Amino acid sequence: MILSKANVGYTGNVLKVDGKEKMKKFLFSLGCYEGQEITLVSILGGNFIVNIKDSRYAIDEAMAKNIVLAE
Amino acid sequence: MKIALAGNPNSGKTTLFNAITGKTEYVGNWPGVTVEKKEANLKRKYLFGAHAVRVVDLPGVYSISPFTSEEAITRDFIMAEAPDVILNIVDGANLSRSLFLTSQLLELGVPMIIALNKEDVLGKRGDQVDVAALSKALNCSVIPTTATSQKGLLNLMEKVIELAESGKQGTAQSASKSQAVLDDISRQAMIDEVVKASVVKKRDARQLSFSDKVDRVVAHKIWGLPIFFLVMWAVYSFSISGLGGAMSAYLNDTVFGEIIPDAANGFFEGIGVSPILQSLIVNGIIGGVGAVIGFLPLIMILFFCLALLEDSGYMSRVALVMDRYFKKIGLSGKSIIPMIVGSGCSVPGVMATRTIEDVNEKRMTTILTPFVPCGAKLPIIALFSAVFFPNASWVGPSMYILAIGVIILGGLLLKKLFVWENTSYFILELPEYKVPSLKHAFIQMIDKAKAFIRKATTIILVMNTLIWFMQAYSWSLQPVQDQSMSILASVGSALAPLMIPLGIVGWQFAAAAITGFVAKENVVSTFAILLAAASEQALAVPGGPLSQLFNPVTAYAYLAFNLFSPPCFAAISAMNSEMGSKKWLFRGLGFQLSVGYLLAMVITQVGTIIVYKQFAVGFIPSIFVALGAALGVVLMIRHSEQKRLKLAEVK
Repeated sequence: MILSKANVGYTGNVLKVDGKEKMKKFLFSLGCYEGQEITLVSILGGNFIVNIKDSRYAIDEAMAKNIVLAE
Repeated sequence: MKIALAGNPNSGKTTLFNAITGKTEYVGNWPGVTVEKKEANLKRKYLFGAHAVRVVDLPGVYSISPFTSEEAITRDFIMAEAPDVILNIVDGANLSRSLFLTSQLLELGVPMIIALNKEDVLGKRGDQVDVAALSKALNCSVIPTTATSQKGLLNLMEKVIELAESGKQGTAQSASKSQAVLDDISRQAMIDEVVKASVVKKRDARQLSFSDKVDRVVAHKIWGLPIFFLVMWAVYSFSISGLGGAMSAYLNDTVFGEIIPDAANGFFEGIGVSPILQSLIVNGIIGGVGAVIGFLPLIMILFFCLALLEDSGYMSRVALVMDRYFKKIGLSGKSIIPMIVGSGCSVPGVMATRTIEDVNEKRMTTILTPFVPCGAKLPIIALFSAVFFPNASWVGPSMYILAIGVIILGGLLLKKLFVWENTSYFILELPEYKVPSLKHAFIQMIDKAKAFIRKATTIILVMNTLIWFMQAYSWSLQPVQDQSMSILASVGSALAPLMIPLGIVGWQFAAAAITGFVAKENVVSTFAILLAAASEQALAVPGGPLSQLFNPVTAYAYLAFNLFSPPCFAAISAMNSEMGSKKWLFRGLGFQLSVGYLLAMVITQVGTIIVYKQFAVGFIPSIFVALGAALGVVLMIRHSEQKRLKLAEVK
């Protein structure tokens, strides 16, 4: 399942991150990579608010489609 | 001795920097406020016997692995600066993420100390960090601090100086040597271990926090936008027509309009100074500078409100709300931050575009940000509304609404003209809300006030003296009876024909607009000087001397011309450094000039027909200009579309 299809409140692990290398590296430095926990806190105005390692980030839909979650 | 501050964005580096150096660098509660390195000397209080300690504040990064160019730059920068100590500021509220950078910094082989910052936030959450265990696991001293209240800073700096001194004697505790260089995956695994061993969490970060609940309201799909407009309306109306406006009106009408000139005139007449010197001082210096200083309260209140807003954490949310809309016009949600900052001053506003990753979005934001009326343009707005629209409170706010309209249309047009590929994505950290600090806002306000007074008493003063001289003397350096024989008149007359399509006839307007490029406040002070010779009446009263030069429609058009034409030189130079290429700078300036000119033209020509049921001066030339502009735009769009097609074919 991809993040953009998840329901609010979902908590689970990242299976993999697709997309451009630069974006992947950036997400990695935030702690969003294979095997890490991610929580979908809210969906606000088309943006996905996620919790990664105690911090909140807003991610747009295009980016959320690149984050693949383990069921 | 040199100390480098490094850490994640929004970890409080600049707050700590300001606290230990006594500077008042720009801080805000969103990631990426600091875009350039800042340097200053350490305060004596924190020297502990050391001499001349330089502190360098670096822009925040999440990582220095040399994969992306920005991060490589930061890494090279630390290596090139060769600091004696790295002071790594770790956001206690985001410990595990921050430690990724920490572990990379440790490998650089520079002595390092960790400031575990935002301790107060940790305390409030009920989380506990075992400082001793953390320090042991990382093999590096960890000192808890709260930079906002300066707690723990003495202890921290004592340790930093101690480490730097011992490093000089060659007994450096080089943290890195004991650690093998790790690859990034095992680095993250190592950090997870460290965090598990040293942090006791009471709060589950996955649960909805107070900030999340607030976000569900202020970043709501429907409510987000109206709430944003309401907040900005409150800020601007409080500054412009509320308290700030009232105080400025008093200063302008009474203090600089009557009390000071009367006293000065009386004084000079009493001591029998030559009338020319008296005129220079009273009309040129007091009149010109006073016309600008009078708006000081208005600007101070605006900056006070903006500082509170920036400190609260709301700015990131605005970026989130705006992203949906701004994407449609080729901008990023993050473009709103430069624009709000730019409503104070365009220079930091333009610099704030650096947090926008996508180059097209960044360029467009750089071109559009100066369209937001800045603090220096406020005096022009306030003056013109007071004189021509005394009973219409909509005029001031209408300039902001006009600015929004121009930005939206401008974005759409620029997207058609220049952007060929859109590859951007949006990710932004949402910091927790905090109660904005009144003390911080007060310091920022005083700092801005000082800068404003400095500008008024240097660059504006010099310009005013020059303007006074140019309007009082002819080319043969003889005093003139009639201003229209003066140097200024002949310079202004040379450019005046260009303004005829705007329905504005007269050399004064061209002259004032030119002085506006030096500093926008000059537009006001130039009129003050030009009209002081002709009238005894205060400048900023309804139906004041300005009404000899304008009718309300042309006044509004002239206002628009000054707001939407290229900004002052300082902002142009900021645009230059952000664009990184002269070609883009000139494209940007050309675009801004065209927008200001055409907008003012439309307001005059259409406005005059509607309001006065007649054609304004320069109606025929304006039709030619409009046709020319339309043709130019069509040709340029066609040209870009062909380029886009070619680009697609190559793919």
